[in-house]
Amino acid sequence: MADLDRYPGTPRWVKLFGIFALALVLLFVVLHLTGRGLGDHRSSSDRTPSSGGNRSPQRGH
Amino acid sequence: MAMSPRLRRLALTTHVTASVGWVGAVAAFLALAVGGLISQQAQTARAAYLVMELITWSVIVPLSLASLLTGLVSSLGTAWGLFRHYWVMAKLLLTVLATILLLAHTRPISRVAGLAAERTLSSADLRQVRIQLVADAGAALLVLLVNTTLGVYKPRGMTQYGWRKQHGQKVSEP
Repeated sequence: MADLDRYPGTPRWVKLFGIFALALVLLFVVLHLTGRGLGDHRSSSDRTPSSGGNRSPQRGH
Repeated sequence: MAMSPRLRRLALTTHVTASVGWVGAVAAFLALAVGGLISQQAQTARAAYLVMELITWSVIVPLSLASLLTGLVSSLGTAWGLFRHYWVMAKLLLTVLATILLLAHTRPISRVAGLAAERTLSSADLRQVRIQLVADAGAALLVLLVNTTLGVYKPRGMTQYGWRKQHGQKVSEP
């Protein structure tokens, strides 16, 4: 009966889930820190090229 | 802190509705994001981005917050608890992360929608951001499907805290 009262430990699926989640979080952080993330978070006036240039958009059109 | 059976069912129904609705809304968002990116019709792409911003603020954000809130109520008001079972903790973690990322990424959505409201988009306009929206929506859908799977299958596994709680209750029972 004593064995039944002992904590059985963390299930394998939790460990795998944790490793996978940690890897994803690390990947996300690294991508953002290195600026290789998909897209950026600059304001809309930073770059809205219509012909490949890096210039401000033409307002009022 | 246990809820009555009637209240428990109401909380669960609300939670399932909000969570499944969130999945459906994100799937629709993904379809619009892909459509906006690859459509050859300028008006279609423009409409897609305008609708994406609308459903983000009127459907996705409210449903995500409702899912998080009703999930907290359902777990805390029942024997499942919030920190007793690993699957509940995993769901909580994923829901919190998905909600934070959603709120953090509403800005790119507004950027593209703002430009689409001003003029017709060319395929080069904000291309990186538009690709990002597709990737974000795909990742969000994957996370939400994992959440749904966890909620349905409820994989075994108690935390040490949950184990102590359950064991302590058994010992203290007459």
